[in-house]
Amino acid sequence: MRILLVEDDAEVARFVRRGLQEAGHTVEHAANGRDGLFLAASEQFDMLVLDRMLPGGVDGVRLVETLRAQGNRTPVLFLSALSAVDERVKGLKAGGDDYLVKPFAFAELVARVEALARRPTVDAPATRLKIADLEMDLLSRTVTRGGKRIEIQPREFRLLEHLMRHAGQVVTRTMLLEKVWDYHFDPQTNVIDVHVSRLRQKVDRGFDKPLIHTVRNAGYMIRAEP
Amino acid sequence: MTPQSTPRDELPNPWDPMLRFLRSAGFRFALLFAVVFSAAAAGFAFVLWFATAGSLDRQTDAALRTDALGLMERWREGGPGAVADAIAERLAADVENHAIYMLLDPQGRRVAGNLDRWPASVGQGPDGPWSFAFVAREGTSVEARIYAINLDDYRLIAGRDIEEKQRLRDTLAEGIAWSAIAASLFAFLGAAVLRRALANRLRPATRTAEAIAAGDLSRRVPSSGRADEFDRLGESMNTMLDRIDRLMEGVRGVSDSIAHDLRTPIARARAKLEEALADTSEPGALRAAIEQAIADLDHITRVFGALLRIAEAEAGARRAAFATLDLAAVLADVAEFYGAVAESRGQALETDLPERLDLVGDRELLAQAVGNLIDNALKFTPPGGRVLLSARILAREGVEVSVADSGPGLPLEDRARAGERFFRADASRGTPGSGLGLSLVRAVAHLHGGDLLLDDAEPGREPPGLRASLRLGTA
Amino acid sequence: MPIRLPLSVVLAAPLLIANGEPMPRITSDSHEYCTELVGRFARLPGAAVEPARSLAADGVRLCEEGQPRAGVAKLRRAIRAAQAPP
Repeated sequence: MRILLVEDDAEVARFVRRGLQEAGHTVEHAANGRDGLFLAASEQFDMLVLDRMLPGGVDGVRLVETLRAQGNRTPVLFLSALSAVDERVKGLKAGGDDYLVKPFAFAELVARVEALARRPTVDAPATRLKIADLEMDLLSRTVTRGGKRIEIQPREFRLLEHLMRHAGQVVTRTMLLEKVWDYHFDPQTNVIDVHVSRLRQKVDRGFDKPLIHTVRNAGYMIRAEP
Repeated sequence: MTPQSTPRDELPNPWDPMLRFLRSAGFRFALLFAVVFSAAAAGFAFVLWFATAGSLDRQTDAALRTDALGLMERWREGGPGAVADAIAERLAADVENHAIYMLLDPQGRRVAGNLDRWPASVGQGPDGPWSFAFVAREGTSVEARIYAINLDDYRLIAGRDIEEKQRLRDTLAEGIAWSAIAASLFAFLGAAVLRRALANRLRPATRTAEAIAAGDLSRRVPSSGRADEFDRLGESMNTMLDRIDRLMEGVRGVSDSIAHDLRTPIARARAKLEEALADTSEPGALRAAIEQAIADLDHITRVFGALLRIAEAEAGARRAAFATLDLAAVLADVAEFYGAVAESRGQALETDLPERLDLVGDRELLAQAVGNLIDNALKFTPPGGRVLLSARILAREGVEVSVADSGPGLPLEDRARAGERFFRADASRGTPGSGLGLSLVRAVAHLHGGDLLLDDAEPGREPPGLRASLRLGTA
Repeated sequence: MPIRLPLSVVLAAPLLIANGEPMPRITSDSHEYCTELVGRFARLPGAAVEPARSLAADGVRLCEEGQPRAGVAKLRRAIRAAQAPP
């Protein structure tokens, strides 16, 4: 993937750039909003990673607004030291697709970048999701594994759906908290782990091949291969 | 630098004080007063003038018209001779000595009357038969009101010497002029008094604001005891200042807490890293030290996030994000979210919620606050215990959300301090947590116009358990 | 009226030539009109009755003394008194 990183802090930029390159992406870097806007508008990128506050008169929000006004639909991930909910809302309203508060674990950034990249740009209304022998019917809201019906509660359904839509990708706990429960606060306890383990009980117990995997220091992943 | 390019405010403009005075609200109120007062005086003078001088004029005109009508009557009865007789008769009986008559025959000769020639202005004015003329009386020029009509080929003037009335009019005009001067004087005097009174009543507020701006936050606006608009302004200012004071205290509290609760983990992380640096011989230890340091930093970040959240709620900045929501649904979600945790520990999280609970508020903060209460309750409840989340509408407007546990409860002396930042009761020292949970709950309650109450879940039972009640106003 | 006379002359002088022609003059403040009124009074039936008679006498005297205006006023009051029904 070709990623444009617009970040004024040289140290953070170096760290992010190196990490994304190690994950197999090409990274262009701009140190201020004006250069970033110029690059984003003149070249083709698969994703923009933007600092929310940037020097040079064009901040992240302005940059995205300008791009969106020009019809540019490239996915945008905001990085920001501003954690207030209003700031997040402002960023997303301007046309950002995701919002990550600094400081962040690198695994979190990579997981979100991958999630954004694989997000279908045009939402083809899939009605069935399938991983190995695990099947999910989005219309009748039923889950079967190996043809056997699994009883699942609505919230567990949404949790599993999110994991399956990002099959093969790391989904972090924060991402689940935000996307499945729409909470943006620190739940103090390992609530997400408890929910995932409960889901795992239903989906993986009694089958020789587990599908839900824990990725150390990052989150969870659903995939067919062990 | 040329004088033109000097910024204007560097050159003291001699008109500045004047302009400032003209722009002041006091001046504008005063001007308004003066204008209203003058307008009232002018209206009064106008009515007076119309009722007196105007009435005199109308009387004169009416008398002249009657006079002329009488003479026309005579004309019809007896022709020029009769009119001439009538004129002579009327002149002879004119004790007031103000009558003027003249009858001219078709050749322009005087037949009767007491004018020696036809006044030039008669019949030329815009008022038809009516006009004013100056006539000479014993060598003096006097003003006369003239009514001129034609009687066949003859021309007739009936007039009045209005010099007397003119003098009365002048006297009246003079009187009104003097009253106008007096009224203007009063208007300006009144305006000045008004402006001064306004400035005087505003001075305590201004003085206080200046003192506050200069850094003396203890100052308050004194009340005049009149309970008027100015006192209300002062009260509002004082309320505002009290609020600022509380916020400042909060900020001081936070910086104290930050000093303690953020420096400690930072110091720990730093010590571990330094230790690891000094002891690089073993790669495994080095790695473990770095991982521990990252975990410490994450903990610091979380404390930081919690502090920012509390600050967000306390500042009231999120009131803009308030929306109508169904609190019952929000609570059910939170209960479901934490219910899994309770289950995994062998505890029971029960709910007693109404069907619907409409409220204007912030979903995110309410969910977090109730989540904190549930999380607390679960931490202090032994395995097998139960936690009850309930909500009800209070008799007076408002909603109460309670979380009751079957844990050890909280000693009375700790309850008051439980909402303070980083306060942790002795019993909880061993459990994980930042000590910020209840602070956030309290801040959220305040944001929603309510409060946090702590009491025994079941008084008399041992242990009594703790019930945390989040009261929400309708704000 | 030694003071009033020059004053009235000063005041009247410019006004008499206003609009290029002399100002109309009231003729009923003159000695001639006094005489006319005396004649009129004499023809009235109540001329011999007081107070008309003495008012007329006063009027005549004032006219003789060169105060036609005051004299005319007295004579007019006399005429009115003489016309009034007894």
